[in-house]
Amino acid sequence: MKIEKENISLSQLLTLLINFLLGSAIVVGVGGDAKNDAWLAILLGGLIGIGIITFFHFFIYRFPDKNMFQVFEFCIGRKITIVCTLIYIVYYLYISSRVIRDFGELMATAILPNSPIEMMSLTFCLLMGYILYLGIEVLARTSEIFTPYLFGFFLLLAIFLFASGSLEFKQLQPILGEGVMPVIKTAFTELAFFPYGEMIAFSVIYASLTNKKYSLRVSIVGVGTATLILSVSAILMIVSLGADSVARSNFPLLSTARLVSIGNFIERLDALVVFIIMLGVFIKGSLFFYAGLKGLEYIFKLPYRYFAIPISMIISLFSILVSVDFADHIQEGIKMVPYYLHFPFQVVLPLILFLLVMWKQRKIKSKRKGEQDGTEQTKSSFIKETNKN
Amino acid sequence: MAPSRPNRRLLKKPIKIEDKLRNTEKKVEEKKESFDLTVETLPSEVINAFGNSADIKMIEGIISERNVKILFLESMVDSTSLKETTSKFLSSISPIGEYLKNIDELSAYCKGIFGGASYKIVSSKDESIHEIINGSVVIVVEHIDKALAVNIMNGEKRSVAEPTSQTVIRGPKDAFIESISTNVSLIRRRIRNKNLRFEQYTIGEDTQTTVYLGFFKGIANEAIIQEVRNRLKKIKVSAIFESGNIEELIADKTFTLFPLALNTERPDTVAANLMEGKMVILIDGTPFALIVPAVFVNFFESPEDYYQSFFLGSFLRMIRYLSFMIALLTPSIYVGVLTYHHELLPTTLLLSVIAQREGIPFPAVVEVLVMEITFEILREAGVRMPRVVGQMVSIVGALVIGQAAAEAGIISNIMIIIVSITAIANFVSPIYSFATASRLLRFLLIFFAAILGLYGVLLVLVAMVAHLAALRSFGVPYLAPIAPFIIEDQKDVFVRFPFWNMKKRPKYIRSESEQKVFSASPPSPSSMKGGNTS
Repeated sequence: MKIEKENISLSQLLTLLINFLLGSAIVVGVGGDAKNDAWLAILLGGLIGIGIITFFHFFIYRFPDKNMFQVFEFCIGRKITIVCTLIYIVYYLYISSRVIRDFGELMATAILPNSPIEMMSLTFCLLMGYILYLGIEVLARTSEIFTPYLFGFFLLLAIFLFASGSLEFKQLQPILGEGVMPVIKTAFTELAFFPYGEMIAFSVIYASLTNKKYSLRVSIVGVGTATLILSVSAILMIVSLGADSVARSNFPLLSTARLVSIGNFIERLDALVVFIIMLGVFIKGSLFFYAGLKGLEYIFKLPYRYFAIPISMIISLFSILVSVDFADHIQEGIKMVPYYLHFPFQVVLPLILFLLVMWKQRKIKSKRKGEQDGTEQTKSSFIKETNKN
Repeated sequence: MAPSRPNRRLLKKPIKIEDKLRNTEKKVEEKKESFDLTVETLPSEVINAFGNSADIKMIEGIISERNVKILFLESMVDSTSLKETTSKFLSSISPIGEYLKNIDELSAYCKGIFGGASYKIVSSKDESIHEIINGSVVIVVEHIDKALAVNIMNGEKRSVAEPTSQTVIRGPKDAFIESISTNVSLIRRRIRNKNLRFEQYTIGEDTQTTVYLGFFKGIANEAIIQEVRNRLKKIKVSAIFESGNIEELIADKTFTLFPLALNTERPDTVAANLMEGKMVILIDGTPFALIVPAVFVNFFESPEDYYQSFFLGSFLRMIRYLSFMIALLTPSIYVGVLTYHHELLPTTLLLSVIAQREGIPFPAVVEVLVMEITFEILREAGVRMPRVVGQMVSIVGALVIGQAAAEAGIISNIMIIIVSITAIANFVSPIYSFATASRLLRFLLIFFAAILGLYGVLLVLVAMVAHLAALRSFGVPYLAPIAPFIIEDQKDVFVRFPFWNMKKRPKYIRSESEQKVFSASPPSPSSMKGGNTS
């Protein structure tokens, strides 16, 4: 079997990162616990996010051409890795179906109230399956094309909100009215996992990057930009709706967009917002999907494209089955997922593995030092071992 | 492998001549030494090979007591030069005749008679048949075991005229014609450089069509040239008539609505593209040339963008992108908004639309489909119908289908606006074959708008962009300067920068030499400033 090498450029990585982080975070709104300091919490969360991406980067770049699962294999051998990979696949596909559910709920409640949510989920997943069947390169290029529109629409939305006079900046006050604790708590318990910790899905993407020299810089810029957009959107929501309404609203950005009214002509910019949301959700869902597919590729040693369409149908089904209704879905997302899924998969397992990698590499290094006088053959076998694909 | 495959092919074919031709070809290869070329046998064999076709002719004569036979296809040779040639050749009563011992002397002798026409010495039956097909007369002289082929193919062709499908206001007004040699000369006259190369291919097992691959050596990327060569060589079909045939056979992917090669009938477009590092494929018998590799943005470029001021050029280009979107999206957005998203319309507009649609018996999607399909029928009729009845379509189309249908309450007035803006926007595309994409995708979009509203439209759009992103034209990503994003190439995508600023050739073509503009500064009258002091 020949697994083809795919290439992703730096600008594509940037757009993928931005869309990924906006993804479902912009649908449901994040940092709500910090009330009208949500934007501060998001900024703080962004700093954590930069830390997280630097760590993943540092971790994955010990083996520039390997994806996460191949790094696992280096640490713990193929057999145990297969078990780990299976668990990770389930995690990735579960998160993917949760993301699709977020979007499906948005569509079914706000945009197409009379259409069944199954229809949204099915069509959306088919599209994701089609694009991943075409390859991650195509996904990257698609995101590259649509991202400028995303920025444009976001800017338009901000301008229109400002122009229609529905912004009251007083609502941001009092800043840090309840001290810094709520902000810090929100940043560390909520935002660190969602959306920033989810960047673990990128650990399968870095291997296909063409220009690795600047990738850390670009990743940090990407996280920074996404944080800024999230923060600005949080400010927009708070100053137009007020912190209480934001907390009560299911889809605060959509509610905000509905306030726009200029000259009785430019009204109800739902379409713009849905576009922003759809693109983000699409990229995010697809990236988790892709991470899962890569895991399957590792286990079965078959090109991941073979799995794209069937797995997309599974995601579609599970996006309906994961929860009975929207309230249940959100509850699960707040109470269960961060502690039982995000924490172990984003923090515990990677950290353990990182330590293992450090330990193992040091061992090999010292072994090599010991055998410095040995034949050339051992040296080359070491190189082979570390570079084994 | 070799012997079994051609035999199987031949069994299916009704034409016997080909059969014979190929068998003899094999024989010749096997025993090259034996010549089957004598004045007694060759003519009858050739005539037999043509199956005594009505237009194969033979002239017999005698020069200094030797039999001479001249074979040709009446339909392929120029009749005046034929008369001249044969009369000169046969009437030369000669002392020269004695010297005509071998083929070299014959050819030297003929040079004197025929002047600049092109010659070939042929030594087998198949070669002579090939030459006769290509418009030569074959002269066989007794006692000489080779024959002489003199090409006097008739030059019947229409003269160079104005382009009919790709017109400009300012710019050259000549277009390609059906003769490949004229087309090459139209290009060569614009690029007088020894590095402009043309390679000849003969494609079509049965039609033997001449195809030229042209490129500028030193600018065009060698790897891409090699790829084009390989694909041209791989073509094994019976017949080739038009550039469209070749396009489908060499394109990277056939299951796409988007053309992967640019077709043009303008020599200036071809010349400009050659200088950018692209390749041109010319096919004998058609005025359309193919330019490869072609990417998405090339289909929005008109040669006029570069002849008019760059402000206008940029503006027109943006208009073209806009009208592509209009042609693609207007009907589906209409359906989507009217069926699912009334709230997106401002109240007054919504009221007027609803008031218009009050008496209409159909849902929006039926209305749109009826009108779009009617329009497509009108359009096809307009293209195919005899010119004599040409006025009919416009009268019937505009009056009966448009106004009357609205007055009769079958469709709403706004629907007529939608259909006409869509149609007009569709005609903006400078390359006609590209408009088919928006023309066909429109129906898919209408369908999805009818079942999923604007969400469906967005889905199809994303799928379309993904499909485009997956396409390649001869290895070049189809969305090239946009995705993958190449910042240097943006000077000639959505806008056109002034010439002095576009210093490099587009990066996505991977040109061998990038520099395009050699003087780096904008033109300025600085030396003239302050009068003539020096």
